[in-house]
Amino acid sequence: MGIEISRLRRQFGQFAALDDVSLSIGDGEFVAVLGPSGSGKTSLLRILAGLDQPDAGSVLRDGQDLLALDARRRGVGLVFQHYALFPHMTVAQNVAFGLRVRPWRQRPRASAIKASVENLLRKVELEGFAQRYPAQLSGGQRQRVALARALAIEPRLLLLDEPFGALDAQVRVNLRGWLREFHHSLGITTLFITHDQDEALEMADRVVLMNRGRIEQIGTPEQIYRQPATPFASRFIARGQALPGVVKDQQLHLFGQTWRIENFPVEAAHEITVHVRPEDIVLASLTADGLKAQLLSLRHVAGTVRASLRVGNMDEPIEAEWSERDWARHHASADDAVGIHFQALSVFATDREGRVLAHATVHPPHASFPVAVGPWRRVEA
Amino acid sequence: MAAVAAVVSIGRPSAATRVARIVLVLAALAVLGWLLVLPLLAIFAEAFRQGLAFYLNAIRQPDTVAAVRLTLTVAAIAVPLNLVFGLAAAWSMTHFEFRGKALLAALIDLPFSISPVVCGMMLILIYGKDGWLGGWLQAHNLQVIFALPGLVLATVLVTLPFVARELIPLMQAQGSEQEEAALTLGANGWQIFFRVTLPRVRWALLYGVLLCNARAMGEFGAVYVVSGHLRGITNTLPLQVDQLYQENFSAAFAAASLLALLTVLTLGIKRFVEWRHGDQLH
Repeated sequence: MGIEISRLRRQFGQFAALDDVSLSIGDGEFVAVLGPSGSGKTSLLRILAGLDQPDAGSVLRDGQDLLALDARRRGVGLVFQHYALFPHMTVAQNVAFGLRVRPWRQRPRASAIKASVENLLRKVELEGFAQRYPAQLSGGQRQRVALARALAIEPRLLLLDEPFGALDAQVRVNLRGWLREFHHSLGITTLFITHDQDEALEMADRVVLMNRGRIEQIGTPEQIYRQPATPFASRFIARGQALPGVVKDQQLHLFGQTWRIENFPVEAAHEITVHVRPEDIVLASLTADGLKAQLLSLRHVAGTVRASLRVGNMDEPIEAEWSERDWARHHASADDAVGIHFQALSVFATDREGRVLAHATVHPPHASFPVAVGPWRRVEA
Repeated sequence: MAAVAAVVSIGRPSAATRVARIVLVLAALAVLGWLLVLPLLAIFAEAFRQGLAFYLNAIRQPDTVAAVRLTLTVAAIAVPLNLVFGLAAAWSMTHFEFRGKALLAALIDLPFSISPVVCGMMLILIYGKDGWLGGWLQAHNLQVIFALPGLVLATVLVTLPFVARELIPLMQAQGSEQEEAALTLGANGWQIFFRVTLPRVRWALLYGVLLCNARAMGEFGAVYVVSGHLRGITNTLPLQVDQLYQENFSAAFAAASLLALLTVLTLGIKRFVEWRHGDQLH
């Protein structure tokens, strides 16, 4: 059953924080809501937690109206980005808070509370820290206390707001794997929001990509990366970079080359967007082969080589990424002229409101391969 | 220039900046000593000039004892009222958005800018014999002006901003995240207030209460207008000092030293709180 969010709308003055958002989350699923700041992901989280009410739409949990319950009775665990631990309480008191504030009929005995606090602290690997105050803990430890505190109320939905946003890079990467494991061992339906693509793709079963209050795409990390559904998804997830391509008469024109593109309606389109990913730009073995490009700069980052290239008459340089191994086969250095091929291009036709009308992934045949594969044929000029 | 250099210098100070620093500190101490400490000591010196016996006799005068009792009574009523008001105002100002919020903020500050004498006059205009409510109060045999209620009203009015002003910046800086966390954990409004909000602002609250108390006990202007100066009945300690001053110089200073002692004590507690919990105030 899980959680069924349908047609949520939330308006702040003229600004639509959520614009017709629908989403269903399965039981026990680990879902990332990914988007830049201002994309509406925090609004969605606050509405699910009961800290805000939508202007329209509904949220059902196992068929029951979640919005009718106020935040106190919702049974939703929320972990804040800055933890929001109670600084005047010890770790144990923080974790016990949700149990101690229950009405006395439902409140567990003191010994039961103590036992469940101990159990939770063991789960988050903070056994020896029960009597410490939050100020005496590191960022990663505070994060885990906040998690234990949220879990103490045995929530049926766990919400994490930028869970690693306030941590330094090393701790963040370590905690990612830990949290994923942790989720698998608990099995609680979990939704976390983040603006970090790596974080979302690495941890989540399913990624919900948001932009300007709308859902751009929902899919597994692999689906979203391989088949971005919108120009935004392509840019934000697959690092797609815009190229000055034009589609006319079922043909794609790009940097003086022309390829056939079939079943691609452009009549109603307001805008055509052509994107290429950094790793889909490959170096030609001979400079004379392929498209002329100028190597502007090279950066070597842990096994990959990142290059800025000036291609054709584009003002903005485009970024390419190769493995060190591939790069070692070429004898080029900064400021050299090189030949490049595009291995894959994403082409989108959008209307005035930015809605995608048509979408195609194109694999232009290399100049050195005379035979084209698939629907793509090189048109000889 | 050396003075400026002394203020902004980072790292190891040169000899000139060190001298400038010492000069600046000494100058500040001299000014404070001349303007504040010396006069305060002069009060005690004057109070004890005719000997301890005279002093003890002066402060044991029934009128003076009554004045001390009245001052403490007024403070004991006015300060808790302002504690509740200050908490409520600060809570609503920092946790809610509503129309008239800016107006409320301005109103809280108003007693800071209005002269206390004017505050007293306002009360006379409303509760006095010929005031708006005067007739109704008289018909019901209620005495406000020239009685305890008037004194309390005047004191509350003048000390209104102290608690709220101390809490608002702190609560603004703290935000509502912890309250929201408590809410999602199932706490109700009172539990959130007493277990989360209050403990976080307790030192700032105490600080505000102490300031409020010092001001309430020392208030002269507004109280002067509404008191009526009935010895032993409506004279608070500051008013008693004023009246004694017209008649018996040394007795006036004995009473004044009492008042000074009360406020110095309050400020002493305040300093102690600052020293122990200064990091939690702001």
